[in-house]
Amino acid sequence: MAQTLNKLYADLDFSFTRTPGKNDIALSYDEMAVIRSVRYLLLTKNYERPFQSNIGSRIEQLLFEPLDYLTAQSLKTEIETVVNNFEPRVNLIQVTIYEKSEDNAYSVSLEFYIGNNVEPTAINIILERTR
Amino acid sequence: MATTANSGLQITNLDFGSIKLSLKNFLQNQDTLKDYNFDGSALSVLVDLLAYNTQYNAYYLNMVANEMFLDSAVQRNSVVSHAKMLNYIPKSAAAPKAVIKLVVNGVSGATLSIPKNTPFISEAIDNINYTFLTSDSTTIAVSSNTATFNDLQIIQGLYSAIVYTVNTTANPSLIFQIPEAAVDTSTILVSVQESSTNLISQTFTQASDYTTLTPSSKVYFLQEGTNGKYEIYFGDGILGSLLINNNVVNITYVTTNGTASFGANSFTLLSPIAGYSNTVITSIDSATLGGDKESIASIKYTAPKAYAAQGRAVTKEDYIYLIQNNSTNLPIESVSVWGGEENVPPVYGQLFCAIKPSGGFTLTQTQKERLISEVIRPISVLTVTPTIVDPDYTFVKIDSTVYFDARKTTYNSGQINQIVKSAISNFASSTLNTFNSTFKMPQLITSIQSSDLSIITNESTIRLQKKIYPSLNSATTYFLDFGTKLKRNYYNAGVSSYPDFSVRDINSSNAIRTGVLFEEVPTSIGGVASINVVNQGFGYTKIPTVKITGDGIGATAYAVLAGGRVNSIVITDPGLNYTEAIVTITPASGDSSGALAFANATLEGSLGTLRTYYYSNNIKIILNSDAGSVDYAKGMVTLTNFAPIAINDPLGQFTISVVPNSTIVSSTFNKIVALDQFDPEAITVTVTASQ
Repeated sequence: MAQTLNKLYADLDFSFTRTPGKNDIALSYDEMAVIRSVRYLLLTKNYERPFQSNIGSRIEQLLFEPLDYLTAQSLKTEIETVVNNFEPRVNLIQVTIYEKSEDNAYSVSLEFYIGNNVEPTAINIILERTR
Repeated sequence: MATTANSGLQITNLDFGSIKLSLKNFLQNQDTLKDYNFDGSALSVLVDLLAYNTQYNAYYLNMVANEMFLDSAVQRNSVVSHAKMLNYIPKSAAAPKAVIKLVVNGVSGATLSIPKNTPFISEAIDNINYTFLTSDSTTIAVSSNTATFNDLQIIQGLYSAIVYTVNTTANPSLIFQIPEAAVDTSTILVSVQESSTNLISQTFTQASDYTTLTPSSKVYFLQEGTNGKYEIYFGDGILGSLLINNNVVNITYVTTNGTASFGANSFTLLSPIAGYSNTVITSIDSATLGGDKESIASIKYTAPKAYAAQGRAVTKEDYIYLIQNNSTNLPIESVSVWGGEENVPPVYGQLFCAIKPSGGFTLTQTQKERLISEVIRPISVLTVTPTIVDPDYTFVKIDSTVYFDARKTTYNSGQINQIVKSAISNFASSTLNTFNSTFKMPQLITSIQSSDLSIITNESTIRLQKKIYPSLNSATTYFLDFGTKLKRNYYNAGVSSYPDFSVRDINSSNAIRTGVLFEEVPTSIGGVASINVVNQGFGYTKIPTVKITGDGIGATAYAVLAGGRVNSIVITDPGLNYTEAIVTITPASGDSSGALAFANATLEGSLGTLRTYYYSNNIKIILNSDAGSVDYAKGMVTLTNFAPIAINDPLGQFTISVVPNSTIVSSTFNKIVALDQFDPEAITVTVTASQ
């Protein structure tokens, strides 16, 4: 247990795999934990979590709207709102989004600081409807 | 992992938020997983899952605990099961009953029988025609080829029969279900045949007194099953006869639509009686006195009372319960019971019950006799004689003027009128129409006020009415007890009557006068007529002061002394408008020994006079200047030797209406303050829009 003391954030890993070399569940730490949390928030719909209907966003709904600039801007606002509301560890620098009309998808990149880190973190996500 | 594992765990929370908070507090005690506070983390999802599961279990256990008590149970099967512990069978739907006269023409033979369950069809009520059945078979003598069935009772429902064969392997508990939930259990007939080949059959009756059951008693037991359907089961060979394999159980019953067919009064025979189809059917009583299946709320209310009464009528509440839940299945809306010693005048050794049936005003003589002989007498105390008296209805007629702000509503004045009318009738059905009910004007005003947001204010007045059916052509004196003080000489609008009637004029060689009405003689003003000294007192050295207090004004009097005693009291001014007056005699100042003198006042005009009048060529003519009297203080109107020839009303109903002194009217004993739902003029509403 001592190895976790210098870690600021520690979360379960949703893959529920085994920590290499140990008979314990895999955990994710610090930056990785936050990035996963952000990803998970983006993929959560409102009313999905019991009794906490406000957690989540309309992102999935928007993916079924016409793929254009307006929808993209709505998506951007949704992403900013959900991250600012529910992930206090993230200090958002910017969200860039552009339509990949050939793939019927949006490419989203988020740039943010985690806590008091000096170095920004960036993640890229492709948002695409799957049905 | 955790150093102080249990320090943050609260286990008494029941809602999701508190459970989740408690789990988070618990997780604070460890440092392996730190992200429980962030909604996006995987750990947060796990905490949600745990909290949801905990909350689900807590809720479930709470509901289970609720169902364990009669007071908090909400599921019908739980309530019924608790009632069963109290030896209470929920009441089934009761088939409404109608009475008809059936004339069959062209009959050959000496007698004609109409079998039980002969079907009739009613007129459409809310677009549904209901089937009615004869409740018994009847045989009558035929006269001049015509058979007349007078007072034939028919009940609303459909006849059904079900046959079960006893098989102790497949159905070891020997419980037989009646598949229809709307069965009227009073119509259930059970017979048991030896087997499908041995046709010997015996009738089984419903068990009631368990102390008399023997191993050979041919009885069945009735209960409501877990799915709301009634179940029949049989004895175990000790309490009641035991059924054996291959016995055939025949159950017949009637299923009813309950109150839905109320008011049906036009019937057609569905199939000929013994081949005769030339029939004439006249309605005598329309369909009434039925009921729907007992509600959960009613079971919760009644079952403990049934247990408390223990099948014995001793206390007032026992009688009320037993009459309301009578075994004759007569639906009763309200019961009032009082001992003879409370009666005015007292009648010792008697018990009075006033009963208001559902959907009617009074019980018939047969219904009263059945209630006494079958319900009350078998379980009442031997020395107490029960008497059923008719309810004495005092009807309230409500006149309301409503002002509303047309800008605050989309309704027009006609719609506001309807809204106010329904608010008034809701008010009446929730507060009036039962024994010991009280009409309170402030409540009425509040109900009208809250019926729509646009209503600014309302002014309401009431009149009280008594409805009688005077016997024609015979002089009868009617005493109408309104049970409350009456307003006297009320701008010539005090006591009045409608409709008009015709009567013989004894002053004019018995000529028939039509269009005659009653009115109050407008000069009955009451002052103090005399003061009677009850106790002269003693030791008066100076003339004491005499003070008259009451609801009138201006009466004054002085005392006359003789030998230190009050000899008499002389009235100097009788005053005006007294309905009660109290005389107080106070020793004058400086008189320290005078004491105990006491006197009573007698009022003049405490009785008003009624007279009859009619119009002849637009001239009002007084027919009988002393046709009755009004006792304002007792609220009693007397019509002396009233002998109308005809009443101008199709039913012969005659209404006397008065204005009560107070806007709060309460009822005791057999009195009911009610709003007549059959009278279209019971509620009149005037709507004025103010801009």
